[in-house]
This record gives sequence, C-alpha cells and structure tokens, in this order.
Amino acid sequence: MRFQKGAPPALVVVTALVIAALTFGADWLFSGMTSAVERGQLDLMRSIISFNLAGTLTNSLARAEIVAADPVVRQLLAQQDRPALLAHTETIFKQQREKYAVDQMQFHLAPATSFLRLQNPSLFGDDLTQNRPLVVAVNREQVAKKGFAIARTGPALFGIAPIRDMDGNHIGSVEFGMDIGPLLDRLKAAYGLELTLFIDETPLREYAAGMPADVVSEQNRIGPTMRLHSTDWDRMSQLVNGNDLRIHDQPRDWVRKAGGIPYGVLLYPLLNGSGEAMGAIVLARNFESTRSAAGRTVLLQWLLALLGFLAVAAAILIVIRGWLVRPLEAISARFASVGTGRRAPPAEDDPFLCAEMVTLARQHQRIADMIDRRQR
Amino acid sequence: MRQLFVLSLVMLLAALPAHAQAPLPAAQTPLPVQVPLPERAPSASAARTPVPEPRSLKVPPPLTEQFNDRSTTSATVAAQPPALPTAAVAAQPPALSTAQSPAPAPSTAALAVRAPRALTELPLESGLPLWVRAGLAFVEVETIDENKETFTATVDMRLSWLDQRLRYPAAEAPIGYREWRNEAVAPQLAAMWTPKVGFANLRGEPTRESRSLRRYPDGRVELLRRVAGSFSSQLDVQRFPFDRQQLQVELVSQDDTADKVNLDYRQDDLLFSRADPGIKIDGWTAGAVTLTRDPLAGWYGERYARMRVALEVDRQALATMPSLFLPLLASLLIPLLATWLNHAKNGEFEIKPFELTNIIIGGLFAVIALNFTVNSERSILASGTNTVSLLFGLNYLALGTALVINVCLFRFNFVRGLAGRHVQHETFLFITWALPIATAATALALILIAAA
Repeated sequence: MRFQKGAPPALVVVTALVIAALTFGADWLFSGMTSAVERGQLDLMRSIISFNLAGTLTNSLARAEIVAADPVVRQLLAQQDRPALLAHTETIFKQQREKYAVDQMQFHLAPATSFLRLQNPSLFGDDLTQNRPLVVAVNREQVAKKGFAIARTGPALFGIAPIRDMDGNHIGSVEFGMDIGPLLDRLKAAYGLELTLFIDETPLREYAAGMPADVVSEQNRIGPTMRLHSTDWDRMSQLVNGNDLRIHDQPRDWVRKAGGIPYGVLLYPLLNGSGEAMGAIVLARNFESTRSAAGRTVLLQWLLALLGFLAVAAAILIVIRGWLVRPLEAISARFASVGTGRRAPPAEDDPFLCAEMVTLARQHQRIADMIDRRQR
Repeated sequence: MRQLFVLSLVMLLAALPAHAQAPLPAAQTPLPVQVPLPERAPSASAARTPVPEPRSLKVPPPLTEQFNDRSTTSATVAAQPPALPTAAVAAQPPALSTAQSPAPAPSTAALAVRAPRALTELPLESGLPLWVRAGLAFVEVETIDENKETFTATVDMRLSWLDQRLRYPAAEAPIGYREWRNEAVAPQLAAMWTPKVGFANLRGEPTRESRSLRRYPDGRVELLRRVAGSFSSQLDVQRFPFDRQQLQVELVSQDDTADKVNLDYRQDDLLFSRADPGIKIDGWTAGAVTLTRDPLAGWYGERYARMRVALEVDRQALATMPSLFLPLLASLLIPLLATWLNHAKNGEFEIKPFELTNIIIGGLFAVIALNFTVNSERSILASGTNTVSLLFGLNYLALGTALVINVCLFRFNFVRGLAGRHVQHETFLFITWALPIATAATALALILIAAA
C-alpha cells in the first residue's frame, strides 16, 4: 500500500465518521429537546381543556345552587306547581341561554323523576334512573354534584343541586347544563386550538332521544362516535379518524399532518358520573413552528459539520501531502538519480522542508557529492 | 310654569341618592316589557309603545316625548318614563316637590339610565359588552401584489347581534325573518343601532359594495356586506419560495370600545368564514380561513375589538423555481469556473491570473445585474432575510473567495512563499473539489431550510 494513496484517505474517512457521529449525537439531543417542547405543549393543552371543563362545571353548579336556594322555587317545587315554576324561571333560563350558553335547565323530583325541562317544557314525568346516575346520586346523597352527562336533550356539563322545601325536607333537585360547543369556540378564540366534540353513538341514541334528528346522522358518524361540534372539521378530519376514537377512555396524543402542516393532537375523554367514557374532546395545535425550527437546526448542523469536515480534510491533505509525501517523493527522485550521471539540481523548496526532511535532503546531498567526487 | 315644574321634578328625581331609588322586592317588580316593532321602518318612535298602566299612577307620556313637546305635561309624577317599572316609580318619596331645595342640573348619565333609549343607541338589554358575532368569507381573490403587500379581493362580511328591542311576533315573518337588500338597507340601518365595524386594512374605497339586512323575530339582526377592494396585508417572504402567506382582512369596531362592543365568533361563523372553492390565484393555492381576536389599543388604556380573518395561501414553489433560482444557482458556477479552469503542475499555475480574474469580474457584474433585476421585479425580496437574498449573498461570497484565490494563490503565490510549492500544489488541488462542494452544499441547505 502506498502511504500517499492510503493514509490521507484513511484519515479523512475517520474524520468524516467522527464528525458524522458527533452530528448524529447532536441531532439526537436536539430532537429530544424538540420532543420535550412538544410534550409540554400537549400537557398544556390537557391542562387547558381540563381546567375549562372543570370551570364550566363549577359555573353550572353555582347556577344550580343559586336557584335551589330561591324560596319561591322551593315553594313551587314542593307544591309541584309546574306552570308557576315555569313562569318563575323561564326568563332566567332564556337570559342565561342567550348570554352564557346555558343549554339545559331541569327540575327533578326525588328520587329521579323529571319535573320540568325549561328547554322543553312539554317533556316531563320521565324516570331518569337509567341514564342519569348523577341525578340519582344527588337525590340519594342530598349533596350537590357536577359532571358530564348525556341528557334527553343532549350532552352537556351539568351542575346539580338538591332542593329542600321550606321545612328543610329534601324534595328534589335542579340542574343546569352548559353547552360544550360554545366552550370549544371560546377555547379556539383564546388559544388558537382546533377542537372537536365526539359523543359515543350508543348512549347518544339511547338517552338523547330529544336531540334534533340531523345530529345523529350518517354524515356525523366517526367510528363509534358522533361528531357534535367542531371548530374546523376540514382540518380535524385529517387529524382524527374512527380508529383513533375506537378506544377513548384514557387521554392519548399523537402528531399528524393536515394540509402538510404537523399538528399535535390530544384526545381527552369525557367521563360520566360513573366514570364511563361517553365521548371525547379532540384538541389539535399547530406544531409547524417547532418542527420547522427543528428541521432548520438539523440542516444547519449538517452544513456546519460538512464545512468542519472540509476544514479538517484540508488540514490532513495539505499537511500530509504537501509537507510530507510530496517532499519525500522529490527527495526519493533525487536519490534515484544518484549514480545515473544526471544529478538533480537542488530544489528551491528545501528551505520549506521540515527538520526531518532537511536531514534527509542533506544526506542525499552528501552522498551525491561523494559519488561525484569518486566518479571524477 | 308647568313646563318648568316638570323639568325641575325630573332634575330632582335624577339627583336622588341611590338608596332612594332602590328597587322594591322582586314580587312587586313587573316582568320586562317586550317592545313590539312596526312591520316596516323601525324608528325611535317604536320605543313609545304603551306599557301597562301602573296601579296607582296615571300613565305619563314618555320622557322623550315630553322633552320634544313641552305642551304635554302632567301634574303628578309625569316625568317618569313609561318603561320604568311601577315599583321604581312607587319608590320615589312622596314629599318631592318644587318647594324643596333648588334642583341641581341632572347629569347626562342619570338621564340616560332613566330615559328610554332610542333604537339608534347601543342596546343594553343583554348587558355589556354587546357581543357582535362576525364572520368573513372570501368570495374571490383576484391578485396578490407582493411588492405593495396588497391583495385585491371580494369578501362577504357577516355581522350578527341581538337587539331585544327589535323583537316582533314570529307570525309576521312567514319565512323566518325580514330581509332588505341594497338601497333598502340604508333607511333600516339609519333607524336602528348597528355596530360600526369597518375594514381596517382596506386601501381606499371599495370598488363594489352591496348589503343585505335580516331581522329575526327574536331580535337577532344579521348584516351582510359584500365588498370588493384592495386590502393591505403584510407578507413574510423569509421562506420564499416555500412560504405560506396569510391574506388578512381586519375587522375593527370603530366607535365603541371593547367594553361596550366586542367581536366574537361561534361555530356557524366559522362555517361561514371560508374561501370559495373556486378561488384560483395565479401562482398560489388557497387554503383555510382562520379567525383571530386581537384587540386594538386605543387612547387612555382603552381597547377596541378587532378580528383578523386570514386566508392561508401557499406559494406554488415549482412555478417560481425555474425563473428565479436557476439563474441564481447558475451564477454560482462562475467563481467555480475561475478556479477549475486553472491547472497546476508541481505547484506552478499554467493560466495567467488576469484571464481568470476577468471571468470573476464578469461574473460579479452578472450577479449585480441579476440582483437589480430581481429587486426591481420583486422588491419585497430586497429587504429582509430570505432564501433569495441569502443565495445572492452566497454568490457574492463565492465570487469574493474566487477573487482572493486568484490574487493570493495564482497571482502572488502567497502559499508558495509561505510553505513552498508542494503545499501550494496540494492547496490548489484541495480547493478544486472542496470549494464546489462547500458552495453547492450551502446553496442546497439554504433552499432546504426554506422548505423545512
């Protein structure tokens, strides 16, 4: 093997491998940082939705407790005077519906019989034991509760407060149900998230018989669920599908592209009072900025690695070939000319030779002079 | 005298302390009165609809009417507006008379609370702020002028709000609403309150405009406005030609601060806010429409409601690449040629440096000419950092490097003088392959970074 042909390329290859390995390592570390940032974003999305759902539930419960404490309401419910109770509360309900997205307001008689639905006054008297465990629990334990539920007129975030008559005897309860759709719209406005509400089709068909017929329809069916509300379904339809919704009893997240843009997607389950998953809210946030920044950084890392490699390769090639191999070849050529009668002239580069080469050149000069003297 | 008496009574009532005006218990408070409106042309007179007669008092004419017609007076509590609840009237102390201390001038705010609000005033029935729901659809986008950072488009702006004073019996609108279009809209709008929401970034006057107004029985009002014009919208070309731009239309509440009138959107506004599927923009692909609420700062810490509606458009990169990037990449070959063309034999260069320098100088003029051409055609690319400006920078850097190599290595043999012919030879050999690789890799990286 010739040193000139073998050694520099070997050194260059080793250098290239080392630099490539270091760059891969840096990329790996950086991708870990990017993942940590995205994980943080997904955790923030989860906090946002859970905090706002809890806040909305508390708002529902606060309204329910205020109404439950109203002496007129207590008196009218105790008397089971439905028309008077409707007259007394319908204005409240209308205003709450118009201004604060209150979707449902219902009075129950213990243990769990619907007495008056403000959103549908003509529908009453049905037993809620089967589909409204929260109502049963409130009337059994006589304490206020809140939670997600699918009522006869649709799913909502309910706050339920027990009602006592003027003598302090428990007589029933009142519930306020907040519509989830406007909440999702507000979250989009505030945080720039895209959100979609999915409710399981089976309980929806079973319990929400009073919902408009076009809601539970083929066009809204996504896997085992029905899509009830979406801030941008064109986009969300590319980010979530029926398979994603097949299991939705635990929060899950993934990253998927819609229209060429990467989105972080979070599936947040909606559990009823018994802890059963009844649906899910899917949130999506644009991850383009983090992904683009990561892509740009990786490209720049590799460009800098290449430029670094070229600098090291320049040092290897120029030093080894320019200062070692080529002068050695020249001195060898001079040695080869010894005794041939064609003595090579002293090279003009000799002053630039390294100390070891200078010794060799001097040896050649001494031998050449000696042979010349003998020949003469 | 009678007029003076009535006026002073009004002033006294307005100046009453708050506790004297406290409402009576709820049981005595009548339910809010719904004011029916005439079928056509609602006006301020619509607020004069009679109310149920108070139990103990004569019904006086409305306060506004009294101020307009001084001859109409009443000897009792005539200054009470008809819309006031009976309880509120009853709460006034009976001893009130002109014999009391001279009445102070009534404050405008106090009168405003008591007087029935004209239909042209901000509706307060649903509380403040009044939420005006807004949506905007892009009907057509004709052109995008990148240099002026404007686009010409036709948009549909939809505003809807609730004014409970405008309720009317549902039976009066068999199709579910009353509708007015174009010229018929103006008289309607003049007779009712409408949010002054304008296009903040519309340049000049609209080239075309049409309007439609719908009023629903529940008091909901929907104003649809189709406007064609030129809108300014800042473009960010940092990622040119792989950039995605947002063609923004800014809706701003112009007269009322955000604590009085605020803009919002809901599901149906989002569904309304779309780009027509048939929109075709030369060199661009239309995408989704996004809505963002972004209040505008006003004086004294006030804020005005603002909503940005943006149509995302993706540049068709392949359409731009040949015309702009091929010359840019081709010009990179000029400095490389100036080094490739030379030949070294044992550290001695065979081509005279001035010949190669001529190539570099020619290349420099070519790049400068290309730069001027690009900047004049796409002036937006001349400012700021973007792929094109970076590639021009790379061109100049490569030319500079080639010039330094020519002068230092080929002409003055600096390397040879410092380290000998062997090192110079190896340096030249290294440059012949390393410089093209470095240049090509940098150019490729700049393009890929834009695409990332």
